[in-house]
Amino acid sequence: MAETTFKTTGFYRMLLKLLPADFRGDFGAEMEQTFEEQHAEASRREGFGGLVRLWWATIVGIFATAPREHWGMFRQDAIFALRTMRKNLGFSVAAVITLGLGIGANTAIFSVVHAVLLKPLPYANGERMLVMAQQAPQEGFFNQPFSVKDLNDYRAQSRTLDALVEYHSMAFVLLGGREPQRVQTGVVSANFFEVMGVKPLHGRLFVEADDNPGAPAVLMLSYAYWQKAFGGDVTVLNRKFTMNDRVHTVVGILPPLPRFPGEDAVYMPTSACPFRSSKQTIEGRGNRMVSVYGRLRPGATMQQAEADLAVISKRLYKDYPDDYAPDYSLAIKPLREEFSRGVRTTMLVLLAAAGFVLLIACANVANLNLSRAVRRERELAVRSALGASRLRIFRQLLTESFLLALIGGSVGLLLAWNGLGLLKSIAALFTPRAAEISLDGTVLLAALGAAVLASMVSGSAPALGAHGHIAQSLKEGGSAQATAGGNRRRLRSTLVVAQVALSLLLLTGAGLMLRTLMNLQRVDAGFRSDNVLTMNIYLNFTKYSDREKRGAFWNALLEHVGKQPGVRSAGLTMLVPLASDPMDMTGNFIKEGQPIEKGQPQPVGDFRVVSEDYFKTLEIPLLRGRAFSAADRDKAPAVAVLSKAAAEHLWAGEDPVGKRFSADNGRTWTTIVGVVGDVKQLGLDREATDEMYVPLQQTPLLQASLVVKTAGDPVALAGAVIRQIYDIDPNQPAAQVRSLEQVRADSIAAPRLTTTLLGIFALVALGIAAAGISGVMILSVSQRTHEIGVRMAMGARPGEIVGMVMRQGMTLVLLGSAMGLAGAFALTRSMQKLLFHVGASDPATYLSVAGVLAAAAVMACAIPARRAAQVDPLVALRTE
Amino acid sequence: MTPPIRNDQSQGPLTTAMFHVLLALAGEDLHGYAILKEVEVRTGGEVKLSTGTLYGIIKRLLDDGLIAERRGRPAANDDERRRYYRLTTKGHAVAEAEAERLQKMVELARSRRLLKRLRPAQS
Repeated sequence: MAETTFKTTGFYRMLLKLLPADFRGDFGAEMEQTFEEQHAEASRREGFGGLVRLWWATIVGIFATAPREHWGMFRQDAIFALRTMRKNLGFSVAAVITLGLGIGANTAIFSVVHAVLLKPLPYANGERMLVMAQQAPQEGFFNQPFSVKDLNDYRAQSRTLDALVEYHSMAFVLLGGREPQRVQTGVVSANFFEVMGVKPLHGRLFVEADDNPGAPAVLMLSYAYWQKAFGGDVTVLNRKFTMNDRVHTVVGILPPLPRFPGEDAVYMPTSACPFRSSKQTIEGRGNRMVSVYGRLRPGATMQQAEADLAVISKRLYKDYPDDYAPDYSLAIKPLREEFSRGVRTTMLVLLAAAGFVLLIACANVANLNLSRAVRRERELAVRSALGASRLRIFRQLLTESFLLALIGGSVGLLLAWNGLGLLKSIAALFTPRAAEISLDGTVLLAALGAAVLASMVSGSAPALGAHGHIAQSLKEGGSAQATAGGNRRRLRSTLVVAQVALSLLLLTGAGLMLRTLMNLQRVDAGFRSDNVLTMNIYLNFTKYSDREKRGAFWNALLEHVGKQPGVRSAGLTMLVPLASDPMDMTGNFIKEGQPIEKGQPQPVGDFRVVSEDYFKTLEIPLLRGRAFSAADRDKAPAVAVLSKAAAEHLWAGEDPVGKRFSADNGRTWTTIVGVVGDVKQLGLDREATDEMYVPLQQTPLLQASLVVKTAGDPVALAGAVIRQIYDIDPNQPAAQVRSLEQVRADSIAAPRLTTTLLGIFALVALGIAAAGISGVMILSVSQRTHEIGVRMAMGARPGEIVGMVMRQGMTLVLLGSAMGLAGAFALTRSMQKLLFHVGASDPATYLSVAGVLAAAAVMACAIPARRAAQVDPLVALRTE
Repeated sequence: MTPPIRNDQSQGPLTTAMFHVLLALAGEDLHGYAILKEVEVRTGGEVKLSTGTLYGIIKRLLDDGLIAERRGRPAANDDERRRYYRLTTKGHAVAEAEAERLQKMVELARSRRLLKRLRPAQS
C-alpha cells in the first residue's frame, strides 16, 4: 500500500512538472496532499473504475491548466518587457536592427537552400527519376548524348527502369503570333511529362499517338512563355502556329516548373521535329543528339539499376564494336543531384556565413544587455527580495530577449520578403529551381527558430548572471558588486573575442573569394573581347535544308555585315567562347600513317566550325602555318587548324602542319594547315581544350554565332547588323545579342555574386564587431575613471593612458584574431572548390584580412582611448 | 458600511467553477480537498473539479483578492501541506453580486414561463 502511494505520488509529481515552476512552488505540496486524499477516497468507494476516472480527470485538468498558467506568466512578462523596451528606446532600436539584419540574412539564404537543396522535386515521380550519361573516360568523354538506337536498346532491355524518355532542345521559328519569334523548343518523348509525374495546368499532355510518324503536329507551352507571350490567356489552347513549314496545334499548358532540362518556351513530340524524325537520326547509331532520363521501377534501387545498365552497355559494345569505345559504360545519378550540381558548396558556404553574422549580432546584443545589467541590478534585487525566484527572473529576462528577437525577426522577414524578387534573379544564376524560392511555412519556421536561438544567445548571458549576485548585492553592497562586475567584464570580453574571431572567419572567406574573382578576371582567355558584338542565329531547318542554301546564307551575311560602317571584321563560329551552354563536340579521329591497335582508344579532339575571318575578328594569334582562306571553299580539299594545346597533346613532339587525319575512319582525310593560340572555350577556370577548327564553308552549320569586331561600342551597332540579317531573310531573327565582354562577365557571374554576398556579410560583421569593441572599451573606461584619475594624478601622461586603453582593447582583438585565423584555416578547406588559383590557406589573404581587422579595431579603440586621455584627474578622484 | 462593489469586468469574467468555489467558502474556511468535496456534494456530483482546475482557480482568486489564506491551523496534527482559505470581504461582495445577478435571471426566466417548477433546495 505504501509502495502504491509512493508510486502514485511520484507519478502525480511528474505530472505537476507540466505546470510553471512558480506555480509548483506555491501549490505543489498542497496539490499532492489533496490528490492523495482524492485517490484514497476513490479507491475506497469506487475501486479500480473510480481510480481510472480520477486519473483521467486529473490529467485532463493539468493539461488544461498548464498552458493557461504558462501563457498568463508569459503575458505578464511580455507586458513588462514591452514597458522596459519603451523606456530604453535607444537600446531596443539598436538591438532590433542588429538582430533584424542577422535574421533577415539567414532567412533569405535559407529560403534559397530550402528551395534548391531540401524541397522535394516538383515532379510527382521526381525521386525515382535518374539522369543517364554515356561515358568512355579513356576517350575523354563523360556525358555523350544518346542516339535513338541507343535509347531504344536500353528501353527494350532494361529490367530495373520502367520508362526511359528523351529530350533535346532546338531553336525554331514560330509563325502565327504578332511577329516571327525564335523559340527554344524542347523535343521530348510523348510520355516525357507523364513519366516525370507532371499534370498539365490546362489542356492535356502529349499522348503516344502524338509521337507516331505523320501524326498531326502538336505543341505544349511552358508556363513562363504562356505568361510572357500570351498574358496567361487560356484561349491560346487549340490555336495553330506554323513551325518548320508544318501547322502545330497547342494542346496543353504546363504548370510552373524548374527550367529543366533546358530553358524551353515550347515543347513538341519527337515526330514533329524535322531533325529528330529524319531517317539518318532514327537509324544512325552514331547520330547522338538526345539526353535520356530513366525512371526506376517501384522497389528497384540505384545499385540494381547500375548493375542492370552495365550488363546492357557491355552487350552493346560486344554487338557493335565500331560504335562504342572499349571502356564504354553508362553513368546514372538521381535527378535531384542535377538540380544542385555546382550549387551545394556555394549555398552551404553562404548559409554558414549568414549564420556567423547572426551569431555576431547576438553577441553584440548580449554585450548591450550586459551593459544594461549594471543599471538594472537594483530593480532585479528588489524583485528578488519581494519573492521572485531565480527561475522567474531568468524567465523574465529571457522573455525580454525573445520579444526583441521576435520584433527583430519580423524586421528581418520584411527585408527578406522585399528582396525576394532580387533573390530569385540572383539564384537563377545558380539553379533552375529559382522560381520555387518563397517564404513558405518551412522558411518562416526557420526564421522563428533563428529568433529563438538569437534570444537565447543574446539573453541568457545576462540572465544567467542576474540572480546569483542580486541578493548578495542587496546585503553586501560594494564588494559583491565588484565581484559581479568582474564576472560581467570577463563575459563581455569573451563575447568581444568571439565576435572578432567570427568576423575574421568571414573576412577570410570573402578575401579568398575576392582573390578568386581577381584571378578569374586576369585570366588570358586567348582572345580579345573588347569591342566585339555577338549574336546567335538559328536557321530554319526546312528552309535551309541543304548545305548550299546554308552556305549561301552565311556567305551573304558575312559579306553584308563586313561592309557595314563601323565594322572592322566579322566571323562566324559554332559557339562563342565562354558561352553558358557549351556543347560537347568531342570527336575521335585517326592520324594518317599511325593506325590504332585493337583495343587502343582513338585520339579525341574538340571540333569547332569557324569562318575564314574568325581568328582575325577575335585576334586569336596565328602561331604556325596559315589560317583559313577563301580557297577553303565547299568541295575544296578539307583543311583544319589546330589550337596550340591540340598540337602539343595530339601531335606531341612533331610539327602537325601538313599532317592529315580522318574523322570517319579513313573515308576522307583532312590536312592541317595551321596552328593558332589556345582559347578558354569552356570557362575562364577551365583548361584550354584541344581545339580542331574546320572551315564553315566546308561544313555549313544550321546554327552559328556571329562575332563582329567594331570600331566603337559594339552594342550600338547591333540594330544595324540585325537589319542586315533581315535584308537577307526577313523571317530570320537573331538571338542573345550582347557584347563579348558581357559574355565574359556573365561566365563569372556566379563567383562574382558569391564574392559580393560574402563581402557584404564580412563588412556587416566587421562593423558590428567594431561597434562591440568600441562599446566594451567605452564601458571599461567609464568604470576605470577613478583608476585613470589616480594614474594621472601620479604623473601618467595622456599618451600613456591612451596606450593602456589601446593595449587592453587590442589584447582582445589579438586573442580573437588568433582564434579566427585558426578557425579560418580549418574551415576554408570546405570552400576550396569555389577558389581559383588561390589556396584555402593563402598567407597573403590571411595577412591582408588580419590587417583590415586590426585597422578597424584600432579605430574602434581610438574613441574610448581619447576619452580616457581627456579624463580630469580632479573629477575622477571624486568618483567612487 | 460594506465597501463599494467593483465592476465585475475589472477582475475579468467569473466562471461557474470560480463561483462554486466562492460559494463553498461562503459557508466556512476550507482547505483544498474540502472545497472539492463541498462543490461535489452541493451539486449532487454534477461538478467535480480536478486538482489542476481547482488550484488554477485558487491562484486566480488569491491574485484578485477574493480569497485569502488563513494563518491558523485547526489541529496541531493536521497535515502540514494543507492550506486553509477564507472568503475576503471583497470576495463576499463579488459572490453576493453574482448570486443577485443569477437570481434576476431566474426571475426573468420564470416571468417568461421557462421555469416550470422549482426544485426543492439542497440542505
